[in-house]
Amino acid sequence: MKSAIEAKRITKTFGHGNMALDNVSLDVTSGEILVIMGPSGSGKSTLIRTFNGLESIDSGKLEILGIPLDSDKNQQQVSLIRRQVGMVFQQFNLFPHLSILENITLAPIQVQGCSAAEAETKAFELLIQMGIEDQARKHPNQLSGGQQQRAAIARALALNPKIMLFDEPTSALDPEKVKEVLDAIKSLANKGMTMVVVTHEIGFAREVSDRVVFMDEGKVIEISSPNTFFIDAKEERSRRFLNQVM
Amino acid sequence: MRKIFKQKRIKTGHFLDGGIESVINIFLVLIIIVCSFKAFNWILFVADWTVVTKNLHLYALGSYPREYQWRPLTWLLLLFSTILLTLFKNKSKLVRRFIYCIWIILIPAGIILHSGGIGLAPVQTRYWGGLSLTILLTICSAAFALPIGILLALGRQSDMFLVRNPCKLYVELVRAIPLIAVLFFGQLLIPLFLPVDIELNRVLRAIIAFTLFSAAYVAEDIRSGLQSIPKTQKEAAQALGLSNIHVMQFIVLPQALRIALPALTNQAIGLLQNTSLMAILGLVELLGITRSLLANPEFIGRYLEAYIWIGFVYWFTCTAMALISNRLEKDLSPDKSDRINL
Repeated sequence: MKSAIEAKRITKTFGHGNMALDNVSLDVTSGEILVIMGPSGSGKSTLIRTFNGLESIDSGKLEILGIPLDSDKNQQQVSLIRRQVGMVFQQFNLFPHLSILENITLAPIQVQGCSAAEAETKAFELLIQMGIEDQARKHPNQLSGGQQQRAAIARALALNPKIMLFDEPTSALDPEKVKEVLDAIKSLANKGMTMVVVTHEIGFAREVSDRVVFMDEGKVIEISSPNTFFIDAKEERSRRFLNQVM
Repeated sequence: MRKIFKQKRIKTGHFLDGGIESVINIFLVLIIIVCSFKAFNWILFVADWTVVTKNLHLYALGSYPREYQWRPLTWLLLLFSTILLTLFKNKSKLVRRFIYCIWIILIPAGIILHSGGIGLAPVQTRYWGGLSLTILLTICSAAFALPIGILLALGRQSDMFLVRNPCKLYVELVRAIPLIAVLFFGQLLIPLFLPVDIELNRVLRAIIAFTLFSAAYVAEDIRSGLQSIPKTQKEAAQALGLSNIHVMQFIVLPQALRIALPALTNQAIGLLQNTSLMAILGLVELLGITRSLLANPEFIGRYLEAYIWIGFVYWFTCTAMALISNRLEKDLSPDKSDRINL
């Protein structure tokens, strides 16, 4: 199996001395769906953000799609990786001054050098896939949260990424909008996309994921299959967490 | 509670229902009636408006040579129609794009129509004057100050020591110097720094001084806009693989400029009014021409009429600027329709 993300003993310390990542080692194979869970402040967001260079690591070895992303990375490597790794944020982070269509076509036109017509055709395909093609000409704040997040997924997909990163994609949504976004992510999973998802949605993790990573205080506590993790977790800390949330 | 009650009463029109408040109300109404009667009486019967009516062309164009007066006049008309077109509400997308081009073209057009060149006979700057000079000074200075201000604001946010600190120093320094000193500097010192064979005319020197001054303030307005853009916007753009320049160009700056727009309008209006300082330095712009008219024995003592008139002209121009800014703010607003619940 080809490895998509390879992290060996990576560490990251923030300015005020607390270790956000403490010797984290993790492998994600191509086509795998990995779910990261853990209490808040456990470093899951930081970890996922190192995978596209939004956070730099202090030490350790990190390779994304075979491209090294170490502490002495250069800008070229980072931009090469970002073209192949899509990211979806908790707060959607759509660009409020651009229409949905412009949000999606911006990167293909500016980064890949697509023509406007080409990029728009592709954008409409993605919007149809996400079920929001009738929102294309609107601005982000005219859409519901669920629609905005689906638009953000379409935006990330527009560059044909090989890996998709989801940083708590449903945490900022109304409970009744969670399902539509999770369904959109599931449809991607069925297409064989490599995905790393930070989430608290246990149902989703059980149904879709290949492996579950449990983190606490910057360390990886446990990596198990979802069946093992949710029914019979190996570690005491994982069981305590699951007791709280289930 | 009492306050709310009071407000409600005024709103619903219980104007005279006894007590001290109605006494005050009657008193205030009387004052307003007396004042407006006196004012209208003065405007209609006492004042002698010949100082205005006889010299309208001077207020508009200064002592611009009569045979070429159509040139600045055309420019003013062009400007006026562009303003009206800008304020027109339901513009098609084509017109909207077109209108930005017109505004940009208006600047070099103004300079060429005033100074001559491209087949037009040259007219020296000492003949320029009146409202057309005031507006030309304002528009040119604003047009140059904006890009310089943007660069200064970006420079102040730079990670590079040798970029950040000079920008910071410039802004702090210029803000600490009064405008009139900068203008004197422009008129007296700039020629000293230039080689002998290069001679800048006075209008150009004034524009340089206003530009250098305003750029510092514009930079701070834009910096406040830049700081109000959440970091997540930048991250989202970076995650899409956009280069730092593209992140600035497409994501951060457009949003920051829209937020800074009211403050920038404030600057532009201030700039327009500050151009009147050039009257002290010998340019016959709107205030300058008024002062020289009042020195004419024919209009001696007509201060009130003349100053009320140019006060009105300044008010009118500033209102036009405020309206354009409002329009622009609405055109750039992402909230084109009502929000729906998230």
